[in-house]
Amino acid sequence: MVQFNLPQNSKILKGQYFKDKTGSQNLKMVHIYRWDPTKNENPREDTFEVDLDTCGNKVLDILNKIKNEIDTSLTFRKSCAHGVCGSCAMNVDGINTLSCMKSHKDIKGDIHIHPLPHLKVIKDLVADLSTLYRQYESIKPWLKTKKPKSENNEINQTKENRDKLDGLYECIICACCSTSCPSYWWNGEKYLGPAVLLQSYRWISDSRDEEKKERLKMVGDNLKLYRCHTIMNCTSSCPKGLNPAKAIGSIKKMLATN
Amino acid sequence: MNDSKNPLSPHLQIYRWQISSLVSIFHRITGIINVMGLTIICLWIGLLFFGESRYGLINIFFQSYFGKVFIMGFVWSYSFHLLSGIRHLILDLGYGYEIKIANISGIIVIVGSLALTVLMWLIGRGLI
Repeated sequence: MVQFNLPQNSKILKGQYFKDKTGSQNLKMVHIYRWDPTKNENPREDTFEVDLDTCGNKVLDILNKIKNEIDTSLTFRKSCAHGVCGSCAMNVDGINTLSCMKSHKDIKGDIHIHPLPHLKVIKDLVADLSTLYRQYESIKPWLKTKKPKSENNEINQTKENRDKLDGLYECIICACCSTSCPSYWWNGEKYLGPAVLLQSYRWISDSRDEEKKERLKMVGDNLKLYRCHTIMNCTSSCPKGLNPAKAIGSIKKMLATN
Repeated sequence: MNDSKNPLSPHLQIYRWQISSLVSIFHRITGIINVMGLTIICLWIGLLFFGESRYGLINIFFQSYFGKVFIMGFVWSYSFHLLSGIRHLILDLGYGYEIKIANISGIIVIVGSLALTVLMWLIGRGLI
């Protein structure tokens, strides 16, 4: 049965309030989800007053500023800081996105930052994505050929066939889409989710891949694929502007017409 | 990592509603209402077999204020599910996945279902 409420140990309590010490006039209230695995406490929501005059444009800049200047214990994943690595995926202002791509100037009023939804929290904004990675592995995300090809020859692809991969290969598996999907929240163990299905479609539509049929058969499962009900939270959250809902629709259409 | 001591991050509680997600959840809710509504209509037709007095009983209900709200609610629910169903069929054909178009079609479903309800009310009143 689907559980809409948070379990007892996950209810968010009111946290600490970090008052601004710079005396700046240009303050932004930032509410951040915190959970410390070393303490036996419920998660809490801390509030920080952040001076925007000395802060960069992106939400990640705010997080860095808090970590450097206000509370060094704040934990979050980040790496490249320009939307290529996908590490800093989190829920900002109610929508999953990469905090390094999201400008805090677009957000009116207070900023609320949570970890990616419906995952086990490891610490603060860091959540556990191992289920998603396992599912990603299950679709065999590499080129499969029936006969071993000579390593000296590349497998050629026409320009038209290469174009079919546009809008698919750019995915960085940041998990924004999968964790925005209510179907994935309720059936995350069985339903593959938009990120993995988009990747699956990327290999299905690759002209060089020789196991298209097997791939379709593997994914064409009541739970793995058809738990998608075109809610489209995935497409509206994708920070790279890709369209997982369309990719899933295309797989369904392929299965229906083949 | 299934350690139960780790909390579950908030989901429904914090996720911002989109037009597309609202239309999707209401498609489901109206589907359930439709099944219940159709059952009541079937019971109503069933009561016709038991003579006029029984039919009069349910007629009293439909004439009441609550009954009228119930009927109009059912008409809306049916209109919504019909239009949303057409939207889903178009999506299944592979069209309308761009977020802008999906939002426009979602608004058409919402506004259209209300318009159909008003239309049915006008027809029922004999105004058209």
